[in-house]
Amino acid sequence: MEQTLVAEAKDAPREADLAFDRLYRSSRDDVYAYVAGLLRDSAAAEEVTAAAFERAYRKRKRFDPKRGEPRAWLFGIARNAALDELRRRGRQAELTAEPADLGEASTPVGAEHDERRLAVSAALGHLTTAERELVALKFFAGLANAEIAQVLRISESNAGTKLHRAMNKLREACDGAA
Amino acid sequence: MEPHRDEQLAADLRALRPTPHPEFAAELDRRAAAGFPRRSRLPRPSFALPWRPSRRLLLPAGGFAVVAIAIAGVLIATHESEQEPTGGSVLGFLNAETPAEDTPAPTAAEEATGPVESSGEAAGSDGAGVMFAPESAIAKGSARHRAVERSAEMTLGADPEDVADDAAKVFAAVHANRGIVLQSSVEEGSAGEAGANFELLIPSRKLGDALADFSAIGEVRSRQETTADITAPTVTTTELLRESGARIDSLLGQLEEAETESEREAVEAELRQERRHRTRLRSDLHNLHQRANMSGVSLRIETGASEDSSGGGAWGIDDALGDAGHVLAVAAAVAVISLAILAPIALVGLLAWLTHRAWVRRQRRRVLG
Repeated sequence: MEQTLVAEAKDAPREADLAFDRLYRSSRDDVYAYVAGLLRDSAAAEEVTAAAFERAYRKRKRFDPKRGEPRAWLFGIARNAALDELRRRGRQAELTAEPADLGEASTPVGAEHDERRLAVSAALGHLTTAERELVALKFFAGLANAEIAQVLRISESNAGTKLHRAMNKLREACDGAA
Repeated sequence: MEPHRDEQLAADLRALRPTPHPEFAAELDRRAAAGFPRRSRLPRPSFALPWRPSRRLLLPAGGFAVVAIAIAGVLIATHESEQEPTGGSVLGFLNAETPAEDTPAPTAAEEATGPVESSGEAAGSDGAGVMFAPESAIAKGSARHRAVERSAEMTLGADPEDVADDAAKVFAAVHANRGIVLQSSVEEGSAGEAGANFELLIPSRKLGDALADFSAIGEVRSRQETTADITAPTVTTTELLRESGARIDSLLGQLEEAETESEREAVEAELRQERRHRTRLRSDLHNLHQRANMSGVSLRIETGASEDSSGGGAWGIDDALGDAGHVLAVAAAVAVISLAILAPIALVGLLAWLTHRAWVRRQRRRVLG
C-alpha cells in the first residue's frame, strides 16, 4: 500500500506530501528504535532520527518505487545518517541503554523479567555494530527479513543467515551471563 | 535463570525496544507538519562536502556554463578563421563567404585625416579623384590600418536574347557605383555562343554594392572574391618617400651653401637624381593606393547550361543541401568544441564524485567493522 501511495506521489506533488506523511507516521517510532539501538544514545538517536526524516523529506520526489519499498528506502537513509554519526564520533556505540528507555519499554513486571532483560541488554554489548544493527532492524524496528535485506543491500537469505548468527551469539552471551 | 530460548529472547528484545520521548515525538510531529524546515543540529560528517549546491541551482548553472563555453568556442573558432583566411578552420567558410562588403577595409590614405595639401611635392591626387593625405599621416594610418587590395570574379547566366540588355544593365551599375569599364565585349548569337565580358574597376568602398547590383541582373553562376594585403609595400614606399623628401631638403640647403660652381653642379645633379627617385616613389605609392581604392572586377555573362551546375536555376535543391551541410558543419563544430571542453571537466567531476562516494561507503563499512 505504501509503495502504491509513493508511486502515485510522482504524479502529483500534493500526493507526494501525503504519502510521505503516511510513511512518517507509520515509521517514526521504528526509525527511532532502530537508530537508538544502533547508537545506544537516546540524545544522538533523536538528532539522527530528525536528520534522517529531514533528508528523506528532501528526497521524497526522487524515490523510485522500482528500487524497493519506501520503508526500506527510509531506513536506508536513517542507516547512513546513523553510520555518519558513529563515524563522526569516532567510536563504537557503547552499551549505555538508559533506564528510562528500558522502563518505558518493559510491559511485564517482575524481578525475573527485569533480570533477564538486563542480561539481554548487557549481551547486546558483546555484539559487533553490524550484528547489533541486524537485531535492531529485526526486533526494534520490526522489519521483515526481506526489508532488512533491502536496507543492507544484501540477499534475503544472507540477511536471514546473518541474523541467525547474531541471535546465536546473543543467546550464548545471555546464557554465559546467566 | 533459565537459558534463553529463541521465542523468549525475541520477546525480551522487543520489550527492550527503545521508544522516543514524548517531547521529542511531539517536536518531530510539529516539524513534519511544517515540512521539515532546515534546523538539523546534527553536524555534517567530517568527510562530507562542506557545501552542496541545490539541484535548482545546478541546472541553470550548468546550462549557463554550456552556453558560455559554446559561445566561447564559436568566438575562438571564428577568430582563428579570421587569422587564417584560406580556411583552416571548420568555421572558416563563415568568413570566406561573407566578406565585409558593406564596410571595405579602409586604406592607409583613406584613413588619413590630416589636411590635404594642394601644392608641393608631398601631395597629389589619383585618377579616380581620391586625394592623398600627407605622408606622415599616411605612415601613421598605415601603422594602425591595413591596406587591402580586393578583386572579384563573377559569372552570370542569361538567355541569348537578354545578353544585350544585361550588358546595358552592367554599364548602368558600373556608372551608378562610380566605377570604370576598362574593357568590354558583347557577343550575340545562339545559346553558348552569345555572351559578354567586362573588366571593371570599382571603388573598393562600393564593391559590395556593385556586386549586389550585378547579382540582380541575372542568375549568379559563380562568384569569387579575393583579397591581398598590401600594407607592407604601402608603408615601405611611404617611408622611402618621406626620406627622399628629407634628402631633397638637405640637398637644397647644400645648394644654398655651395660656394663654387663645381659644388653647385654636383649638388644639382644629385638633386635631379633624387627628384626622379621621388617621382618614381610617388608613382609607386599612387599605384598602391589605386589598387587599394579601386577593386578589379572580372564579369562574364554566359548563355547556355552552366558548367558547374547541372540543374541551373537561381536556387535549387543542391544549394539547399549545401546550405544544410554548412549549417550542420557549424553545429557539429560547436558541439565538438563544447564537448572537447566539457568532457574533461565532466570526467574529472565524475571521478571526484565517485571517489568521494566510494570513500564515504568505505568509512561507513569501517564503522560497522
